[in-house]
Amino acid sequence: MTEFALQDQIRARAKELLASEQVQCVIGYEHGSRGQIRPVFIHQSTDTDRLVWDQGCTHNLVTYLRDKKGAFGSGEHPQRVAIIVKPCDSRALNVLLAEKQIEREHLYVIGVVCAGIVEGAGYAGQSSDKLQARCLRCNDRVPVIYDLLVGEPTQAETEDDYIDLAELEAMSPAERAAFWLKQYERCILCYACRQVCPGCYCSICMFERDDSLWVGIAAGTKEKEAFHLGRAYHLAARCIGCNECERVCPMELPLSLLNRKLAKEVQALFHYRAGDEPSQSPLATMLAEGEEFPA
Amino acid sequence: MKFLSREALQTWLDRLANEATLIAPRLVDGILLYRSVSSARDIVLDYTRPKMSAKEVVLPSSEPILLVEKRGQDVNLSEPPTGEQVVFGLRPCDAHGIAVLDAVFVAQEPVDLNYARRRNATTLVGLSCPQMWEDCFCTSMGGMPNDPSHVDVLLTEVENGYAVTTVTDKGRTLVAELSLQEMEYEPPESVLNEAELVLTQEHWPDRFADQYWDLLAERCLECRMCAYLCPVCRCFDVRDQVVQQGISYSKYDRLRCWDSCTGANYRMVAGGHNPRATKGQRLRNRFFCKFHYFPVEYGLSGCVGCGRCIEACPVNIDIVEVLRDMSRASNAPQTSKVSPNAETGITA
Amino acid sequence: MSEHTFQPRIIAFCCNWCSYAGADLAGVSRLQMPADFHIIRVMCSARVAPEWVIKALLNGIDGVMVLGCHIGDCHYISGNHRAAKRFVLLKEMLSFVGVNPDRLLVDWVSASEGRKFQKLVTEFIERVRELGACGQRHVEIQTPHR
Repeated sequence: MTEFALQDQIRARAKELLASEQVQCVIGYEHGSRGQIRPVFIHQSTDTDRLVWDQGCTHNLVTYLRDKKGAFGSGEHPQRVAIIVKPCDSRALNVLLAEKQIEREHLYVIGVVCAGIVEGAGYAGQSSDKLQARCLRCNDRVPVIYDLLVGEPTQAETEDDYIDLAELEAMSPAERAAFWLKQYERCILCYACRQVCPGCYCSICMFERDDSLWVGIAAGTKEKEAFHLGRAYHLAARCIGCNECERVCPMELPLSLLNRKLAKEVQALFHYRAGDEPSQSPLATMLAEGEEFPA
Repeated sequence: MKFLSREALQTWLDRLANEATLIAPRLVDGILLYRSVSSARDIVLDYTRPKMSAKEVVLPSSEPILLVEKRGQDVNLSEPPTGEQVVFGLRPCDAHGIAVLDAVFVAQEPVDLNYARRRNATTLVGLSCPQMWEDCFCTSMGGMPNDPSHVDVLLTEVENGYAVTTVTDKGRTLVAELSLQEMEYEPPESVLNEAELVLTQEHWPDRFADQYWDLLAERCLECRMCAYLCPVCRCFDVRDQVVQQGISYSKYDRLRCWDSCTGANYRMVAGGHNPRATKGQRLRNRFFCKFHYFPVEYGLSGCVGCGRCIEACPVNIDIVEVLRDMSRASNAPQTSKVSPNAETGITA
Repeated sequence: MSEHTFQPRIIAFCCNWCSYAGADLAGVSRLQMPADFHIIRVMCSARVAPEWVIKALLNGIDGVMVLGCHIGDCHYISGNHRAAKRFVLLKEMLSFVGVNPDRLLVDWVSASEGRKFQKLVTEFIERVRELGACGQRHVEIQTPHR
């Protein structure tokens, strides 16, 4: 199916859902200014032609499903929303469902079969044909949860061998420490990485609490290291690898390396991948039935 | 108009790097930023604009503004030291940003002593933009790519070197020891973009109640990127922090750090009430601050048209698009709900 | 060559029901141990947040111990299982950012194991002494206003 055919299907279903009041809002993608794609919230069935689907649809829309993000501008939470998800995004949905952050009945999931998102997506400028790094190593073509599947299911032949971690893993500890300290220097603590992440939904981030000053308010290396390491750790066994954190970083910090290292170890030690099932027990906080752990 | 050759510029910059802190566009792991350099070789001369503005030079992202030491019963307060600094390669929009900050921090009482200390020790050497780039709209915000107004010295690239315009006494002092030749021709004009639609400050109150702001903010992530990259955004937080605590000796720093009105708890007050509880209210405040509150208070635009927020926003909240939408909306009859509508051409 | 005695700074998180009691027993039995460690009592090893360990190791503490009840004997049934999982992952992350994972020791000490407590502490302090100071990782980074 061509992208236009998928797009037409999405628009048609969105129109039906809104017109019949099965949902009050459809969260999807639209054309923005300067030729870039951006998230859109469609509230009226007459607006569904704004919805688009193509290889520029990079955003993980699941991040908008949490109240703290105030997705529904006026502060009121509509009863039911439809959301467009790619395979990676759909695993984020499962993580939120497993953690009881959203209710399945409140969602109508439009899952799209994805052939990959291109580099430069979400920003203005030359559109590239080259796929993003996260897509080149992605094994999933079909969302793991959906009410409507858009697109013909296909199989993937890629295998993620975590080759991007090899360079760091081969370094000595001192070299690794120096590498990371150099990265934090550029960080401006804009928190875009945290805000774009569907897994970061604490109403007040512990690294920003100014009542306890667990981490101070200064933008020093100490504070930045605490934030990045703490955030990566909190996402252990919960990060689904959409890589949006790395995409949005204005200083191009290689954040995916931290998250992927933990994902690799979680897979190797516990044979666990985040978001495969909506009932999957969260790894680090729960003990599943009959679970063993490494000695 | 005077001429400075490329070689003479390199020599001069090397000398400046030795005599004072020289801050210029330099690559930090592939990202172009205004940073201190130890040699002219590190300076990038061919660029659009650094990722961050030069705001950090006068208003660092975090700084101690008071140092407190307690020995026994004796308390000693001191100010952190400030050294002379020269900023080279400053784009006119970034210089304009510093001028706007001056209006807030030093141009009227009470003067912000920390800002003033840093500002007085700073000399600004601008570099004209040969053209306006993709997201630039400085000309719509009272600026120009070759505007000398807000720097001490302005350089404009010409063949084999730079045309030099000294603007202030500070600038004249800085270039005094250089042997500059007379130039026989005018440097080329910068290539401009088309002007953008802008809504002037008196029309903004009519737009306050529009539903537009809630709809625009639906996709906002509430990060702080736009405010931190902006040459003009200047809100900050102040906290005291313990450096060392002991029976006979303690040390505290009073820290000032950047903050942003887009953050969820920025406006929350003691007791938990939050006057800007929704994203729409916060995003509306951002635009109103720039285009209404700031002009009313200081007579200057709160935006210099550098385009950084446009380039950086991960969800395409485009300040130029907002200005256009506001201009068009003000011609439409005022309604309390302005919904995405093909007739008025307004989309959130 | 002068002998420099580096005194490592160690924090030991001990759970109230088992390892803290074990530490007490070691003391009451007058078992000899080096004194360079500070015990912080928690109700359960699961209470020890990995962020505390990160903050400690990156702010001048040279070694951290987390001691809980034996597996299967946790006073809160499964707290120590969760601690076990968490710290396995934390060690991987610490190693990835250049911190020696041997600076974090996670083990189980029951209330009657005064000797085991003594052994663990003595060996850990010696190990950390060999590893040296964790070091001030956060050097002054050059910023425009400096």
